Amino acid sequence: MWAYLKFELRRMLREPGILVFTVLMPVASYVVFTGFGDPTSQAEGIPVEATIMIGIGGYGAIIGVLSLGGSVAVERTQGWLRQLRVTPLRPRAVVAVKAFTSTLIAIPSIVSVGIAGAIEHHIHLPVSHWLLILGVMWLGTVPFALLGLALGYALSPKVASTASFVLFFSLSVLGGLLVPTVAFPSGLQHLARTLPSNRYAELGWRAVAGHAPTGTGLLVLGVWGLLFAVLAAFAYRRSAATR
Amino acid sequence: MCALPTVGYMPSDALAVCLTAIHKRFGDLVAVGDLNLSIEPGETIALLGPNGAGKTTTINMMLGLVPPDGGTARLFGAPPAHAIETGRVGTVLQDAMFLPSATVREFVELARALYPKRSTLDEILTLAGLTNRSGARLDKLSGGEAKRARFAFALAGDPELLVLDEPTAAMDVAGRQAFWAAMHRLADRGRTVLFATHYLEEADDFADRVVVVAGGRIVADGPTAQIRALASGRTVTFDLAGETADGLSRLPGARSMEVRGDRVRIESTDADATVIALVRSGRAFADLEISSEGLEAAFLALTAADTPTPREPEPLLAAARPEH
Repeated sequence: MWAYLKFELRRMLREPGILVFTVLMPVASYVVFTGFGDPTSQAEGIPVEATIMIGIGGYGAIIGVLSLGGSVAVERTQGWLRQLRVTPLRPRAVVAVKAFTSTLIAIPSIVSVGIAGAIEHHIHLPVSHWLLILGVMWLGTVPFALLGLALGYALSPKVASTASFVLFFSLSVLGGLLVPTVAFPSGLQHLARTLPSNRYAELGWRAVAGHAPTGTGLLVLGVWGLLFAVLAAFAYRRSAATR
Repeated sequence: MCALPTVGYMPSDALAVCLTAIHKRFGDLVAVGDLNLSIEPGETIALLGPNGAGKTTTINMMLGLVPPDGGTARLFGAPPAHAIETGRVGTVLQDAMFLPSATVREFVELARALYPKRSTLDEILTLAGLTNRSGARLDKLSGGEAKRARFAFALAGDPELLVLDEPTAAMDVAGRQAFWAAMHRLADRGRTVLFATHYLEEADDFADRVVVVAGGRIVADGPTAQIRALASGRTVTFDLAGETADGLSRLPGARSMEVRGDRVRIESTDADATVIALVRSGRAFADLEISSEGLEAAFLALTAADTPTPREPEPLLAAARPEH
Protein backbone atom coordinates (compact mmCIF):
# COMPACT_ATOMS: atom_id res chain seq x y z
CA MET A 1 0.00 0.00 0.00
CA TRP A 2 2.87 2.40 0.74
CA ALA A 3 4.39 1.63 -2.63
CA TYR A 4 1.11 2.49 -4.29
CA LEU A 5 0.83 5.70 -2.27
CA LYS A 6 4.36 6.69 -3.32
CA PHE A 7 3.54 5.86 -6.92
CA GLU A 8 0.39 7.98 -6.89
CA LEU A 9 2.09 10.91 -5.16
CA ARG A 10 4.86 10.94 -7.71
CA ARG A 11 2.34 10.91 -10.53
CA MET A 12 0.52 13.80 -8.89
CA LEU A 13 3.69 15.88 -8.61
CA ARG A 14 4.38 15.32 -12.29
CA GLU A 15 1.11 16.95 -13.26
CA PRO A 16 1.26 20.48 -11.96
CA GLY A 17 -1.40 21.64 -14.45
CA ILE A 18 -4.10 21.39 -11.82
CA LEU A 19 -2.37 24.17 -9.82
CA VAL A 20 -3.79 26.65 -12.35
CA PHE A 21 -7.20 25.94 -10.86
CA THR A 22 -6.19 25.43 -7.27
CA VAL A 23 -3.59 28.18 -6.81
CA LEU A 24 -3.51 30.69 -9.66
CA MET A 25 -7.26 31.18 -10.06
CA PRO A 26 -8.07 31.38 -6.34
CA VAL A 27 -5.24 33.83 -5.63
CA ALA A 28 -6.27 36.03 -8.58
CA SER A 29 -9.92 35.90 -7.51
CA TYR A 30 -8.98 36.80 -3.97
CA VAL A 31 -6.86 39.78 -5.01
CA VAL A 32 -9.61 41.08 -7.32
CA PHE A 33 -12.58 40.44 -5.01
CA THR A 34 -11.05 42.03 -1.95
CA GLY A 35 -9.25 44.88 -3.72
CA PHE A 36 -12.12 47.25 -2.95
CA GLY A 37 -14.90 47.50 -0.37
CA ASP A 38 -15.04 48.48 3.28
CA PRO A 39 -12.01 47.11 5.10
CA THR A 40 -13.66 47.52 8.52
CA SER A 41 -16.72 45.32 7.78
CA GLN A 42 -17.07 41.91 9.34
CA ALA A 43 -18.56 38.61 8.21
CA GLU A 44 -18.75 35.27 10.01
CA GLY A 45 -17.43 37.09 13.07
CA ILE A 46 -14.06 38.00 11.52
CA PRO A 47 -12.81 40.80 9.22
CA VAL A 48 -14.26 40.35 5.76
CA GLU A 49 -10.83 39.96 4.09
CA ALA A 50 -10.19 36.95 6.30
CA THR A 51 -13.70 35.60 5.60
CA ILE A 52 -13.07 35.75 1.88
CA MET A 53 -9.52 34.41 2.27
CA ILE A 54 -10.92 31.29 3.88
CA GLY A 55 -13.82 31.15 1.41
CA ILE A 56 -11.66 31.36 -1.69
CA GLY A 57 -8.94 29.13 -0.28
CA GLY A 58 -11.65 26.58 0.43
CA TYR A 59 -13.12 27.06 -3.03
CA GLY A 60 -9.75 26.26 -4.62
CA ALA A 61 -9.38 23.26 -2.32
CA ILE A 62 -12.80 21.90 -3.28
CA ILE A 63 -12.12 22.28 -7.02
CA GLY A 64 -8.85 20.38 -6.68
CA VAL A 65 -10.16 17.60 -4.46
CA LEU A 66 -13.31 17.02 -6.51
CA SER A 67 -11.52 16.98 -9.83
CA LEU A 68 -8.73 14.67 -8.63
CA GLY A 69 -11.31 12.28 -7.19
CA GLY A 70 -13.31 12.50 -10.41
CA SER A 71 -10.20 11.66 -12.45
CA VAL A 72 -10.64 8.09 -11.21
CA ALA A 73 -13.14 7.88 -14.07
CA VAL A 74 -10.24 7.99 -16.54
CA GLU A 75 -8.25 5.32 -14.71
CA ARG A 76 -11.31 3.17 -14.45
CA THR A 77 -12.32 3.34 -18.12
CA GLN A 78 -8.73 2.79 -19.25
CA GLY A 79 -8.41 -0.40 -17.27
CA TRP A 80 -5.84 0.71 -14.71
CA LEU A 81 -8.08 0.00 -11.75
CA ARG A 82 -8.88 -3.39 -13.27
CA GLN A 83 -5.17 -4.13 -13.56
CA LEU A 84 -4.69 -3.20 -9.90
CA ARG A 85 -7.52 -5.53 -8.95
CA VAL A 86 -5.55 -8.50 -10.26
CA THR A 87 -2.60 -7.70 -7.99
CA PRO A 88 -2.40 -8.47 -4.26
CA LEU A 89 -3.26 -4.83 -3.51
CA ARG A 90 -6.65 -4.72 -1.80
CA PRO A 91 -9.37 -2.68 -3.54
CA ARG A 92 -9.97 -0.91 -0.20
CA ALA A 93 -6.36 0.29 -0.17
CA VAL A 94 -6.73 1.67 -3.69
CA VAL A 95 -9.79 3.68 -2.67
CA ALA A 96 -8.11 4.92 0.51
CA VAL A 97 -4.94 6.01 -1.31
CA LYS A 98 -7.02 7.79 -3.97
CA ALA A 99 -9.08 9.61 -1.36
CA PHE A 100 -5.99 10.57 0.64
CA THR A 101 -3.94 11.83 -2.31
CA SER A 102 -6.82 13.89 -3.64
CA THR A 103 -7.20 15.69 -0.27
CA LEU A 104 -3.54 16.76 -0.47
CA ILE A 105 -4.28 19.10 -3.37
CA ALA A 106 -6.21 21.29 -0.87
CA ILE A 107 -2.98 22.32 0.84
CA PRO A 108 -1.37 24.51 -1.87
CA SER A 109 -4.65 26.31 -2.38
CA ILE A 110 -5.13 27.17 1.29
CA VAL A 111 -1.48 28.12 1.77
CA SER A 112 -1.29 30.35 -1.30
CA VAL A 113 -4.51 32.26 -0.61
CA GLY A 114 -3.40 32.58 3.01
CA ILE A 115 -0.13 34.15 1.87
CA ALA A 116 -2.07 36.51 -0.43
CA GLY A 117 -4.23 37.56 2.53
CA ALA A 118 -1.25 38.12 4.78
CA ILE A 119 0.52 40.24 2.16
CA GLU A 120 -2.38 42.18 0.62
CA HIS A 121 -4.50 42.77 3.70
CA HIS A 122 -1.94 42.38 6.46
CA ILE A 123 -3.90 39.59 8.06
CA HIS A 124 -1.68 38.78 11.00
CA LEU A 125 -2.59 35.73 13.03
CA PRO A 126 -0.68 33.71 15.60
CA VAL A 127 1.19 30.79 14.00
CA SER A 128 -1.00 28.38 15.94
CA HIS A 129 -4.09 29.84 14.24
CA TRP A 130 -2.55 29.50 10.79
CA LEU A 131 -1.69 25.88 11.55
CA LEU A 132 -5.19 25.27 12.86
CA ILE A 133 -6.65 26.76 9.66
CA LEU A 134 -4.46 24.53 7.51
CA GLY A 135 -5.24 21.45 9.58
CA VAL A 136 -9.03 21.76 9.66
CA MET A 137 -9.28 22.90 6.06
CA TRP A 138 -7.22 19.95 4.90
CA LEU A 139 -9.07 17.31 6.96
CA GLY A 140 -12.37 18.99 6.09
CA THR A 141 -11.92 18.05 2.43
CA VAL A 142 -12.50 14.34 3.14
CA PRO A 143 -16.25 14.50 2.29
CA PHE A 144 -15.39 16.18 -1.02
CA ALA A 145 -12.78 13.56 -1.82
CA LEU A 146 -15.44 10.89 -1.28
CA LEU A 147 -17.87 12.81 -3.49
CA GLY A 148 -15.20 13.03 -6.19
CA LEU A 149 -14.60 9.27 -5.99
CA ALA A 150 -18.34 8.62 -6.19
CA LEU A 151 -18.48 10.67 -9.40
CA GLY A 152 -15.36 9.00 -10.77
CA TYR A 153 -16.63 5.50 -10.13
CA ALA A 154 -20.17 6.18 -11.34
CA LEU A 155 -19.70 8.32 -14.44
CA SER A 156 -17.75 8.45 -17.69
CA PRO A 157 -14.70 10.76 -17.64
CA LYS A 158 -16.49 13.53 -19.55
CA VAL A 159 -19.65 13.45 -17.50
CA ALA A 160 -17.65 13.18 -14.26
CA SER A 161 -15.64 16.33 -15.00
CA THR A 162 -18.77 18.28 -15.95
CA ALA A 163 -20.59 17.07 -12.87
CA SER A 164 -17.71 17.98 -10.59
CA PHE A 165 -17.59 21.46 -12.13
CA VAL A 166 -21.32 22.03 -11.63
CA LEU A 167 -21.13 20.69 -8.09
CA PHE A 168 -18.13 22.67 -6.92
CA PHE A 169 -19.49 25.86 -8.45
CA SER A 170 -22.97 25.61 -6.92
CA LEU A 171 -21.56 24.42 -3.59
CA SER A 172 -19.12 27.35 -3.50
CA VAL A 173 -21.67 30.02 -4.41
CA LEU A 174 -24.54 28.71 -2.27
CA GLY A 175 -22.20 27.90 0.61
CA GLY A 176 -21.04 31.52 0.82
CA LEU A 177 -17.45 30.81 -0.16
CA LEU A 178 -17.24 33.52 -2.81
CA VAL A 179 -19.68 36.05 -1.38
CA PRO A 180 -20.28 35.86 2.40
CA THR A 181 -23.75 34.68 3.37
CA VAL A 182 -24.49 37.98 5.17
CA ALA A 183 -25.36 39.28 1.69
CA PHE A 184 -27.88 36.40 1.16
CA PRO A 185 -31.68 36.59 1.71
CA SER A 186 -32.59 34.70 4.88
CA GLY A 187 -33.97 31.64 3.07
CA LEU A 188 -30.69 31.15 1.26
CA GLN A 189 -28.76 31.72 4.46
CA HIS A 190 -30.60 28.78 6.04
CA LEU A 191 -29.92 26.66 2.98
CA ALA A 192 -26.24 27.59 3.12
CA ARG A 193 -25.98 26.27 6.68
CA THR A 194 -27.03 22.81 5.53
CA LEU A 195 -24.37 22.57 2.80
CA PRO A 196 -21.04 20.80 3.29
CA SER A 197 -19.20 23.67 1.58
CA ASN A 198 -20.46 26.22 4.11
CA ARG A 199 -19.69 23.99 7.08
CA TYR A 200 -16.29 23.26 5.61
CA ALA A 201 -15.48 26.98 5.33
CA GLU A 202 -16.88 27.46 8.83
CA LEU A 203 -14.04 25.28 10.13
CA GLY A 204 -11.62 27.84 8.70
CA TRP A 205 -13.59 30.92 9.77
CA ARG A 206 -13.63 29.72 13.35
CA ALA A 207 -9.97 28.77 13.20
CA VAL A 208 -9.05 32.36 12.21
CA ALA A 209 -10.16 33.36 15.70
CA GLY A 210 -8.61 30.27 17.20
CA HIS A 211 -11.96 28.56 17.86
CA ALA A 212 -12.58 24.85 17.62
CA PRO A 213 -15.26 23.61 15.18
CA THR A 214 -18.90 23.68 16.34
CA GLY A 215 -20.69 20.43 17.08
CA THR A 216 -23.44 21.24 14.58
CA GLY A 217 -20.87 22.05 11.92
CA LEU A 218 -19.09 18.73 12.41
CA LEU A 219 -22.41 16.90 12.43
CA VAL A 220 -23.51 18.44 9.10
CA LEU A 221 -20.13 17.68 7.52
CA GLY A 222 -20.17 14.20 8.99
CA VAL A 223 -23.62 13.41 7.60
CA TRP A 224 -22.61 14.61 4.12
CA GLY A 225 -19.35 12.68 4.42
CA LEU A 226 -21.23 9.52 5.31
CA LEU A 227 -23.66 10.00 2.44
CA PHE A 228 -20.79 10.51 -0.02
CA ALA A 229 -18.96 7.48 1.39
CA VAL A 230 -22.04 5.32 0.82
CA LEU A 231 -22.42 6.71 -2.71
CA ALA A 232 -18.74 6.07 -3.43
CA ALA A 233 -18.92 2.52 -2.07
CA PHE A 234 -22.05 1.83 -4.11
CA ALA A 235 -20.54 3.28 -7.29
CA TYR A 236 -17.35 1.30 -6.68
CA ARG A 237 -19.23 -1.99 -6.33
CA ARG A 238 -21.26 -1.29 -9.43
CA SER A 239 -18.22 -0.38 -11.51
CA ALA A 240 -16.38 -3.48 -10.30
CA ALA A 241 -19.23 -5.77 -11.29
CA THR A 242 -19.77 -4.60 -14.85
CA ARG A 243 -18.41 -6.34 -17.91
CA MET B 1 -15.54 -31.26 -11.19
CA CYS B 2 -13.09 -29.31 -9.09
CA ALA B 3 -13.87 -31.52 -6.11
CA LEU B 4 -12.75 -34.69 -7.89
CA PRO B 5 -9.19 -35.82 -8.45
CA THR B 6 -8.50 -35.44 -12.13
CA VAL B 7 -5.30 -37.33 -12.70
CA GLY B 8 -4.65 -40.39 -10.58
CA TYR B 9 -4.40 -39.41 -6.96
CA MET B 10 -3.49 -35.79 -7.57
CA PRO B 11 -5.53 -33.74 -5.12
CA SER B 12 -7.98 -31.31 -6.64
CA ASP B 13 -6.39 -28.23 -5.12
CA ALA B 14 -3.28 -28.88 -7.15
CA LEU B 15 -5.17 -27.68 -10.23
CA ALA B 16 -3.95 -24.26 -11.28
CA VAL B 17 -7.32 -23.42 -12.78
CA CYS B 18 -10.64 -25.12 -12.39
CA LEU B 19 -13.82 -23.74 -13.90
CA THR B 20 -17.00 -25.69 -13.28
CA ALA B 21 -20.12 -24.98 -15.32
CA ILE B 22 -19.53 -21.24 -15.29
CA HIS B 23 -21.89 -19.21 -17.38
CA LYS B 24 -22.57 -15.57 -18.04
CA ARG B 25 -25.21 -13.69 -20.00
CA PHE B 26 -25.16 -10.06 -21.03
CA GLY B 27 -28.80 -9.28 -21.72
CA ASP B 28 -29.89 -11.71 -24.44
CA LEU B 29 -26.37 -12.68 -25.37
CA VAL B 30 -24.94 -15.85 -23.88
CA ALA B 31 -21.29 -14.80 -23.49
CA VAL B 32 -20.21 -18.04 -21.81
CA GLY B 33 -22.41 -21.08 -21.38
CA ASP B 34 -21.68 -23.87 -18.91
CA LEU B 35 -17.97 -23.96 -19.50
CA ASN B 36 -15.74 -26.49 -17.75
CA LEU B 37 -11.99 -26.20 -17.81
CA SER B 38 -9.20 -27.56 -15.67
CA ILE B 39 -5.55 -26.76 -16.02
CA GLU B 40 -2.71 -28.58 -14.33
CA PRO B 41 0.23 -26.63 -12.94
CA GLY B 42 2.99 -26.26 -15.51
CA GLU B 43 0.71 -26.48 -18.53
CA THR B 44 0.84 -23.87 -21.25
CA ILE B 45 -2.61 -23.44 -22.67
CA ALA B 46 -3.99 -21.38 -25.52
CA LEU B 47 -7.59 -20.28 -25.39
CA LEU B 48 -8.21 -20.06 -29.10
CA GLY B 49 -11.27 -18.59 -30.71
CA PRO B 50 -12.60 -15.82 -32.94
CA ASN B 51 -13.50 -12.41 -31.56
CA GLY B 52 -16.66 -12.55 -29.50
CA ALA B 53 -16.16 -16.24 -28.69
CA GLY B 54 -16.23 -15.57 -24.94
CA LYS B 55 -12.49 -15.78 -24.25
CA THR B 56 -12.28 -12.47 -22.39
CA THR B 57 -15.41 -13.10 -20.36
CA THR B 58 -14.06 -16.53 -19.41
CA ILE B 59 -10.77 -14.98 -18.29
CA ASN B 60 -12.54 -12.22 -16.37
CA MET B 61 -14.63 -14.77 -14.50
CA MET B 62 -11.55 -16.90 -13.87
CA LEU B 63 -9.90 -13.90 -12.22
CA GLY B 64 -12.99 -12.87 -10.27
CA LEU B 65 -13.31 -9.61 -12.18
CA VAL B 66 -16.76 -10.55 -13.42
CA PRO B 67 -19.07 -12.57 -11.20
CA PRO B 68 -20.43 -15.61 -13.07
CA ASP B 69 -24.21 -16.03 -13.25
CA GLY B 70 -23.61 -19.58 -12.12
CA GLY B 71 -20.87 -22.15 -11.64
CA THR B 72 -17.59 -21.76 -9.81
CA ALA B 73 -14.08 -20.63 -10.60
CA ARG B 74 -11.12 -21.86 -8.55
CA LEU B 75 -7.45 -20.97 -8.79
CA PHE B 76 -5.15 -23.34 -6.91
CA GLY B 77 -8.24 -24.73 -5.21
CA ALA B 78 -9.35 -21.39 -3.77
CA PRO B 79 -11.62 -18.57 -4.88
CA PRO B 80 -9.85 -16.33 -7.42
CA ALA B 81 -9.59 -13.38 -5.00
CA HIS B 82 -7.57 -15.52 -2.61
CA ALA B 83 -5.05 -16.63 -5.22
CA ILE B 84 -4.72 -13.03 -6.38
CA GLU B 85 -4.25 -11.62 -2.88
CA THR B 86 -1.53 -14.14 -2.14
CA GLY B 87 0.34 -13.08 -5.29
CA ARG B 88 0.14 -16.36 -7.18
CA VAL B 89 -1.34 -14.82 -10.32
CA GLY B 90 0.06 -12.33 -12.84
CA THR B 91 -2.16 -10.91 -15.52
CA VAL B 92 -2.16 -8.90 -18.71
CA LEU B 93 -5.71 -7.86 -19.47
CA GLN B 94 -7.06 -6.79 -22.80
CA ASP B 95 -7.88 -3.13 -22.10
CA ALA B 96 -5.89 -0.54 -24.01
CA MET B 97 -4.55 0.79 -20.74
CA PHE B 98 -2.11 3.65 -20.59
CA LEU B 99 -0.79 5.47 -17.60
CA PRO B 100 0.33 9.02 -17.87
CA SER B 101 3.26 10.35 -15.86
CA ALA B 102 4.99 7.20 -14.66
CA THR B 103 8.14 5.60 -16.07
CA VAL B 104 8.58 1.96 -17.00
CA ARG B 105 10.87 1.52 -14.00
CA GLU B 106 8.38 3.05 -11.55
CA PHE B 107 5.63 0.90 -13.02
CA VAL B 108 7.62 -2.32 -12.60
CA GLU B 109 8.85 -1.28 -9.14
CA LEU B 110 5.22 -0.77 -8.07
CA ALA B 111 4.35 -4.29 -9.19
CA ARG B 112 7.43 -5.69 -7.44
CA ALA B 113 6.39 -3.97 -4.21
CA LEU B 114 2.85 -5.35 -4.42
CA TYR B 115 3.84 -9.01 -4.70
CA PRO B 116 5.29 -11.01 -1.80
CA LYS B 117 7.72 -12.93 -4.00
CA ARG B 118 9.53 -10.95 -6.64
CA SER B 119 12.06 -11.14 -9.42
CA THR B 120 14.83 -8.54 -9.70
CA LEU B 121 14.18 -5.43 -11.72
CA ASP B 122 16.92 -6.34 -14.21
CA GLU B 123 15.55 -9.80 -14.73
CA ILE B 124 12.04 -8.49 -15.39
CA LEU B 125 13.18 -5.78 -17.78
CA THR B 126 15.37 -8.24 -19.67
CA LEU B 127 12.58 -10.77 -19.94
CA ALA B 128 10.20 -8.12 -21.26
CA GLY B 129 12.86 -6.63 -23.56
CA LEU B 130 12.63 -3.19 -21.97
CA THR B 131 16.09 -2.81 -20.47
CA ASN B 132 16.95 0.30 -22.47
CA ARG B 133 13.48 1.82 -22.06
CA SER B 134 13.33 1.75 -18.25
CA GLY B 135 13.47 5.53 -17.93
CA ALA B 136 10.81 6.18 -20.57
CA ARG B 137 7.37 7.37 -19.59
CA LEU B 138 4.58 4.92 -20.22
CA ASP B 139 2.60 7.36 -22.32
CA LYS B 140 5.60 7.82 -24.62
CA LEU B 141 5.95 4.12 -25.46
CA SER B 142 4.87 2.56 -28.75
CA GLY B 143 1.85 0.24 -28.67
CA GLY B 144 4.04 -2.84 -28.62
CA GLU B 145 6.34 -1.45 -25.92
CA ALA B 146 3.35 -0.52 -23.77
CA LYS B 147 2.10 -4.06 -24.07
CA ARG B 148 5.53 -5.35 -23.02
CA ALA B 149 5.53 -2.95 -20.08
CA ARG B 150 2.29 -4.54 -18.95
CA PHE B 151 3.81 -7.95 -19.46
CA ALA B 152 6.68 -6.82 -17.21
CA PHE B 153 4.11 -5.68 -14.63
CA ALA B 154 2.48 -9.14 -14.73
CA LEU B 155 5.85 -10.89 -14.36
CA ALA B 156 7.18 -8.78 -11.53
CA GLY B 157 5.81 -10.96 -8.74
CA ASP B 158 7.20 -14.17 -10.26
CA PRO B 159 3.64 -15.60 -10.32
CA GLU B 160 2.88 -19.31 -10.57
CA LEU B 161 0.03 -18.64 -13.01
CA LEU B 162 0.20 -16.12 -15.84
CA VAL B 163 -3.04 -15.18 -17.54
CA LEU B 164 -2.66 -13.18 -20.73
CA ASP B 165 -5.57 -11.90 -22.77
CA GLU B 166 -4.35 -11.41 -26.36
CA PRO B 167 -0.85 -10.53 -25.21
CA THR B 168 0.67 -9.88 -28.63
CA ALA B 169 -2.03 -7.59 -30.04
CA ALA B 170 -0.33 -4.33 -31.14
CA MET B 171 3.14 -5.94 -31.21
CA ASP B 172 5.22 -6.01 -34.36
CA VAL B 173 6.91 -9.18 -35.60
CA ALA B 174 10.13 -8.65 -33.65
CA GLY B 175 8.11 -7.83 -30.53
CA ARG B 176 6.11 -11.01 -30.89
CA GLN B 177 9.24 -13.12 -31.28
CA ALA B 178 10.85 -11.59 -28.21
CA PHE B 179 7.64 -12.02 -26.29
CA TRP B 180 7.27 -15.71 -27.09
CA ALA B 181 10.95 -16.31 -26.36
CA ALA B 182 10.33 -14.86 -22.89
CA MET B 183 7.26 -17.03 -22.47
CA HIS B 184 9.26 -20.13 -23.34
CA ARG B 185 11.73 -19.29 -20.60
CA LEU B 186 8.90 -18.92 -18.08
CA ALA B 187 7.24 -22.13 -19.15
CA ASP B 188 10.57 -23.91 -18.79
CA ARG B 189 10.64 -22.78 -15.19
CA GLY B 190 7.39 -24.62 -14.59
CA ARG B 191 5.05 -21.65 -14.63
CA THR B 192 1.48 -22.23 -15.73
CA VAL B 193 0.64 -20.00 -18.67
CA LEU B 194 -2.81 -19.40 -20.09
CA PHE B 195 -3.22 -17.06 -23.02
CA ALA B 196 -6.10 -16.08 -25.24
CA THR B 197 -5.49 -15.59 -28.92
CA HIS B 198 -7.26 -15.74 -32.22
CA TYR B 199 -4.13 -16.76 -34.10
CA LEU B 200 -3.79 -20.48 -34.62
CA GLU B 201 -0.06 -19.98 -35.34
CA GLU B 202 0.54 -18.53 -31.87
CA ALA B 203 -1.32 -21.35 -30.20
CA ASP B 204 0.54 -23.82 -32.40
CA ASP B 205 4.00 -22.37 -31.71
CA PHE B 206 3.72 -22.02 -28.01
CA ALA B 207 0.96 -23.99 -26.31
CA ASP B 208 1.06 -27.65 -25.26
CA ARG B 209 -2.67 -27.73 -25.21
CA VAL B 210 -5.27 -25.76 -27.12
CA VAL B 211 -8.79 -25.09 -25.97
CA VAL B 212 -10.99 -23.87 -28.81
CA VAL B 213 -13.83 -21.62 -27.74
CA ALA B 214 -16.72 -20.56 -29.92
CA GLY B 215 -20.10 -19.19 -29.01
CA GLY B 216 -19.18 -19.18 -25.33
CA ARG B 217 -18.50 -22.91 -25.21
CA ILE B 218 -15.49 -25.17 -25.54
CA VAL B 219 -15.74 -26.89 -28.91
CA ALA B 220 -12.40 -28.66 -28.87
CA ASP B 221 -9.77 -29.30 -26.23
CA GLY B 222 -6.63 -31.28 -26.84
CA PRO B 223 -2.92 -31.37 -27.57
CA THR B 224 -1.89 -28.73 -30.06
CA ALA B 225 -1.17 -31.14 -32.92
CA GLN B 226 -4.65 -32.59 -32.73
CA ILE B 227 -6.32 -29.18 -32.83
CA ARG B 228 -4.15 -28.14 -35.75
CA ALA B 229 -5.33 -31.18 -37.67
CA LEU B 230 -8.92 -30.21 -36.97
CA ALA B 231 -8.36 -26.67 -38.08
CA SER B 232 -6.43 -27.62 -41.17
CA GLY B 233 -9.37 -29.68 -42.42
CA ARG B 234 -10.61 -29.43 -45.99
CA THR B 235 -14.01 -29.27 -47.53
CA VAL B 236 -14.74 -31.83 -50.25
CA THR B 237 -17.72 -30.93 -52.41
CA PHE B 238 -19.26 -32.80 -55.37
CA ASP B 239 -22.55 -33.55 -57.18
CA LEU B 240 -24.31 -36.82 -56.36
CA ALA B 241 -24.84 -37.46 -60.08
CA GLY B 242 -28.10 -39.32 -59.58
CA GLU B 243 -26.99 -41.67 -56.78
CA THR B 244 -27.89 -41.41 -53.08
CA ALA B 245 -25.69 -39.96 -50.36
CA ASP B 246 -25.81 -43.21 -48.34
CA GLY B 247 -22.52 -44.16 -46.77
CA LEU B 248 -20.71 -40.96 -47.73
CA SER B 249 -20.51 -39.77 -44.13
CA ARG B 250 -18.46 -42.90 -43.37
CA LEU B 251 -15.74 -42.04 -45.87
CA PRO B 252 -12.31 -41.89 -44.20
CA GLY B 253 -11.57 -38.44 -42.75
CA ALA B 254 -15.17 -37.25 -43.00
CA ARG B 255 -16.12 -35.26 -39.93
CA SER B 256 -19.49 -33.97 -41.01
CA MET B 257 -21.64 -34.06 -44.10
CA GLU B 258 -24.29 -31.82 -45.54
CA VAL B 259 -26.51 -32.43 -48.59
CA ARG B 260 -28.10 -29.53 -50.40
CA GLY B 261 -30.18 -30.57 -53.38
CA ASP B 262 -27.89 -32.66 -55.51
CA ARG B 263 -24.67 -31.32 -54.02
CA VAL B 264 -22.90 -32.90 -51.06
CA ARG B 265 -20.38 -31.19 -48.86
CA ILE B 266 -18.05 -33.14 -46.60
CA GLU B 267 -15.83 -31.59 -43.95
CA SER B 268 -12.76 -33.76 -43.89
CA THR B 269 -9.74 -33.94 -41.66
CA ASP B 270 -7.88 -35.82 -44.41
CA ALA B 271 -9.10 -34.76 -47.83
CA ASP B 272 -6.69 -37.07 -49.67
CA ALA B 273 -8.04 -40.15 -47.94
CA THR B 274 -11.61 -39.03 -48.45
CA VAL B 275 -11.17 -38.50 -52.17
CA ILE B 276 -9.21 -41.69 -52.74
CA ALA B 277 -11.92 -43.68 -50.99
CA LEU B 278 -14.61 -41.88 -52.99
CA VAL B 279 -12.94 -42.73 -56.28
CA ARG B 280 -12.28 -46.35 -55.27
CA SER B 281 -15.90 -46.84 -54.21
CA GLY B 282 -16.76 -46.75 -57.87
CA ARG B 283 -19.86 -44.63 -57.34
CA ALA B 284 -20.79 -41.79 -59.69
CA PHE B 285 -19.95 -38.21 -58.83
CA ALA B 286 -19.33 -34.99 -60.71
CA ASP B 287 -17.77 -31.57 -60.35
CA LEU B 288 -15.40 -32.44 -57.45
CA GLU B 289 -13.91 -29.54 -55.49
CA ILE B 290 -11.50 -29.50 -52.56
CA SER B 291 -11.17 -26.27 -50.59
CA SER B 292 -9.59 -25.06 -47.41
CA GLU B 293 -11.65 -22.63 -45.45
CA GLY B 294 -9.23 -21.82 -42.71
CA LEU B 295 -9.61 -21.48 -39.03
CA GLU B 296 -12.85 -19.59 -38.90
CA ALA B 297 -14.67 -22.19 -40.95
CA ALA B 298 -13.14 -24.81 -38.67
CA PHE B 299 -14.45 -22.93 -35.63
CA LEU B 300 -17.90 -22.77 -37.12
CA ALA B 301 -17.81 -26.38 -38.19
CA LEU B 302 -16.74 -27.42 -34.71
CA THR B 303 -19.50 -25.38 -33.14
CA ALA B 304 -22.09 -26.78 -35.51
CA ALA B 305 -20.86 -30.37 -35.11
CA ASP B 306 -21.12 -30.05 -31.36
CA THR B 307 -24.71 -28.86 -31.27
CA PRO B 308 -27.28 -31.07 -32.95
CA THR B 309 -30.01 -28.46 -32.55
CA PRO B 310 -29.33 -24.82 -33.30
CA ARG B 311 -29.07 -22.80 -30.10
CA GLU B 312 -29.66 -19.46 -31.67
CA PRO B 313 -31.67 -18.23 -34.64
CA GLU B 314 -29.69 -18.12 -37.88
CA PRO B 315 -29.40 -14.31 -38.27
CA LEU B 316 -27.80 -14.00 -34.84
CA LEU B 317 -25.17 -16.55 -35.74
CA ALA B 318 -24.41 -14.70 -38.94
CA ALA B 319 -24.10 -11.45 -37.03
CA ALA B 320 -21.77 -13.01 -34.51
CA ARG B 321 -19.43 -14.18 -37.23
CA PRO B 322 -16.23 -12.14 -37.14
CA GLU B 323 -15.66 -9.66 -39.93
CA HIS B 324 -12.73 -10.20 -42.23
